[in-house]
Amino acid sequence: MSIKKISGCIGCGTCVKSCPTDVIRLSPKDGKAYIAYPEDCQICHLCRMYCPVDAITIEPEKSIPVMISWG
Amino acid sequence: MTEKSRLRYIIPGVILYLAVPLLYMIFGNFPDRTILKEAVSLLTVGAFFLMLGQFYLTRINKITLKGQKFSRVVILHKVIGYVFIPVLFLHPFLVVFPRYYEGGVDPVNAFKTILTTFGSKGIIMGFAAMALMILIGITSMFRKKMKMKYTTWRYSHGFLSIAFVVLATWHAVDLGRHTDAFLSTYMIGMAAIGIFFLAKLYFVEAGKIPQEAVNE
Amino acid sequence: MSDKSDKGMSRRQFLGLTGGVVGAAALASIGFKYRGTKNERKIDPENMNYKENETDILVIGGGMTGLFAAVKGHDAGAKVLMVSKGRLGSSGQTPFAKGIFSYDAATASVSLDEFTEQVSSSALKTNNPVFTRQMAEHSKARVDELREWGFFDSPLYYDSFSKPINERNISVMERIMITHLIKENGKIAGAAGFSIDEPTIHIFKAKSVILCTGAGGFKPNGFPICDLTHDGSVMAYKIGAKITGKEWNDGHGGSMDNPAACYDGWHGMFAMSPSKTGVEIHHDLGVDINYRAYVLGNPVSMMPGGDNTIVEGGPYVPEKFVRNREAGAPPGGGNGDKMGPPPGAEAGDRPSGPPPGGEEGRGPGMAAGASSGGASAGMAIHKSEGLVPINEKGESNIPGLYAAGDALGSYMAGAIYTQVGSSLAGSAVQGTIASEAAAEYCQKAVLQNIPSSKISRIKEEILAPLKRDSGYSPAWVTQILQGVMIPNFVIYIKKESILKAALAYVEELRDHHSPMLRAADLHELRLAHETENMIVNAEMKLKASLMRKESRCSHYRLDYPDVDYKNWQAWINIYKGSDGEMKFVKQPFDSWPV
Repeated sequence: MSIKKISGCIGCGTCVKSCPTDVIRLSPKDGKAYIAYPEDCQICHLCRMYCPVDAITIEPEKSIPVMISWG
Repeated sequence: MTEKSRLRYIIPGVILYLAVPLLYMIFGNFPDRTILKEAVSLLTVGAFFLMLGQFYLTRINKITLKGQKFSRVVILHKVIGYVFIPVLFLHPFLVVFPRYYEGGVDPVNAFKTILTTFGSKGIIMGFAAMALMILIGITSMFRKKMKMKYTTWRYSHGFLSIAFVVLATWHAVDLGRHTDAFLSTYMIGMAAIGIFFLAKLYFVEAGKIPQEAVNE
Repeated sequence: MSDKSDKGMSRRQFLGLTGGVVGAAALASIGFKYRGTKNERKIDPENMNYKENETDILVIGGGMTGLFAAVKGHDAGAKVLMVSKGRLGSSGQTPFAKGIFSYDAATASVSLDEFTEQVSSSALKTNNPVFTRQMAEHSKARVDELREWGFFDSPLYYDSFSKPINERNISVMERIMITHLIKENGKIAGAAGFSIDEPTIHIFKAKSVILCTGAGGFKPNGFPICDLTHDGSVMAYKIGAKITGKEWNDGHGGSMDNPAACYDGWHGMFAMSPSKTGVEIHHDLGVDINYRAYVLGNPVSMMPGGDNTIVEGGPYVPEKFVRNREAGAPPGGGNGDKMGPPPGAEAGDRPSGPPPGGEEGRGPGMAAGASSGGASAGMAIHKSEGLVPINEKGESNIPGLYAAGDALGSYMAGAIYTQVGSSLAGSAVQGTIASEAAAEYCQKAVLQNIPSSKISRIKEEILAPLKRDSGYSPAWVTQILQGVMIPNFVIYIKKESILKAALAYVEELRDHHSPMLRAADLHELRLAHETENMIVNAEMKLKASLMRKESRCSHYRLDYPDVDYKNWQAWINIYKGSDGEMKFVKQPFDSWPV
């Protein structure tokens, strides 16, 4: 499901900045990165490649919202 | 000799401090990574638990060490120290090393970022733990040259170790990529048990601490 | 995870035990939801901070074009401020562009004139030879500078891009979305936007603005352009700039296997360090495989060795650019073979490139397999769409407003992918030339005063989606727009009835949904403005496609399948009429706007 998991994050914030579509944010609670907007992930892997501790796991599948009549 | 088989304490030790955590890592629900990265993780976590296992190889272990010749246990305690200290010392480098083989941030830049992320408690704890670990390592290697009373050294070794274990466990729980609820609880539990009995030995049963090193 | 495929065995395979059971549970855990029917605001739109910034040249965008615009404008003596929606070297298409064309007169097999002539020949004259030649002429100088900055040493560009920026102490503001260009007294006066990290509205007062905002698409699945929504063109259009190139299409496809996975679809190319390309001129469509899929149905294969059925008709490819399918080369006309991904082709950047078809050796091998279409839907051929230049410096019809790179409709490559790697090189070259011109402009220009009433109105427009208690979520409107625009019988294989039908939908979205987009936080506010821009782009694309009653290069009409050399030796320019309506005008090939 596109970006899937962040584990071992040190909170440097590099992934937040390097995500073109603003999927990741730092949690105000623990200062670590979390997947805030997974539906906007374009599976480009920049976050993973920039992460200094290789904490990000990405999968090629993407769940796409079902078509509904208004929303 | 009435010495009991060493397997009597080695086997439970291996189960508690290596088999449980490492098997959990291997079979738990963690993302797949390359063999090199898995090897680094297993090595690092293994070293961490060997470190926790040092409590097991002291006099606070009155159960499985009962009847053992303590001078031999202490040798094992030392050998394990010489094994885990270098691994934990190198683990920040090991974390970035696999990046050398893949496209992405290069290991040197990754390492610089790690060293400069001062906003992270986990990183600060890691630095502090590293410093204490080096201090413990050096004062153990050169104990005899330090002209320190054995009892004094024992106390300082114990106190430094407690401080080190607290910081290192905090660091590992905060930043470890495998430290989910189970492994965190397990680490904290093992560390807490060790610290508790060590503190008890020092403060409650202080009189029982031998005045001379057992292996002398 | 993807490094599994790169690195061989995974831990579980290695142990041969637990197999692939994991992850299935996690798969269901991230639910995609439309956020409520009521706007559950997470920030207070009545309590926003406000900041004003002043500069000579405002560079909007932090990709290859923005890098050179900032550096060269500074070196030409202007005070430069760069503002970017993402991060320097890590947003837009630049991070994924791995090939850069470098023309070395000393070693090239053709002269500059011959190169330009060959591109024009492949592009059926749709290119502007001034820009084609300019790109080649200056490419080596830019590539040499990039090498000095360390560009070729890493697959990630942030560090090499930061080097010249930091050395010059150029100000960079990241993660700020610009939504408005501001014009006063007929001249550019600045821009406005908001931070996606903190509740702050930014006004930028500038003597000159250079749009380095790239192109865009409909946030399609399978191409890393989901952050590109033609923001630059649309805000320039709104203040009176002319826009061109909307009928052309980048025809990239993806893999049927996980079509949304850009990284995987390009087989690791994103993780490779960039390299140079030499002269190699193609006519790579991308439209051809859409035609094939339309006629034969799925599956279509991107690789030779798949289905070899010859399909009659379809897009025209000039004789000498038809590729020999058996030779394993790229797509020839009509039988689109490789469409893969990596783009590359012309344009270059590989990423963006074209249909991938292109060069041999392109990237890591693409596995044979069924391909999906529309990976880059909503984007035209690199540098064929964007602001209409009034001269070779990328100046627009609004004094002080420049555009460069994919934001400029320079027709550097024409309406088709011609020279591999030229997109990225062209971005560097155009960014440099536009910025040096802007610096010169700044010497005589003064900062325009922006009335506070206008600033208040802009703030209201920026915050409107946040203030709405009810409305439509950007995610849903985008999804509807994708459903209308992305099918290959709408955007690629065109005919009047369908174009009109789609236009009716898009006009509905424009009139009824754009004004009712809502946002609960700054992330969604960005999506709301992006969605609005995509709707404008859709209208432009459909209307330009209806107007161009012929087929040529990457524009294909089923009802007008032939090249019309009599009536259509012209580009289409779009501008906003005084009545607010979208107007269209032809501009003959090889001419400048009057």
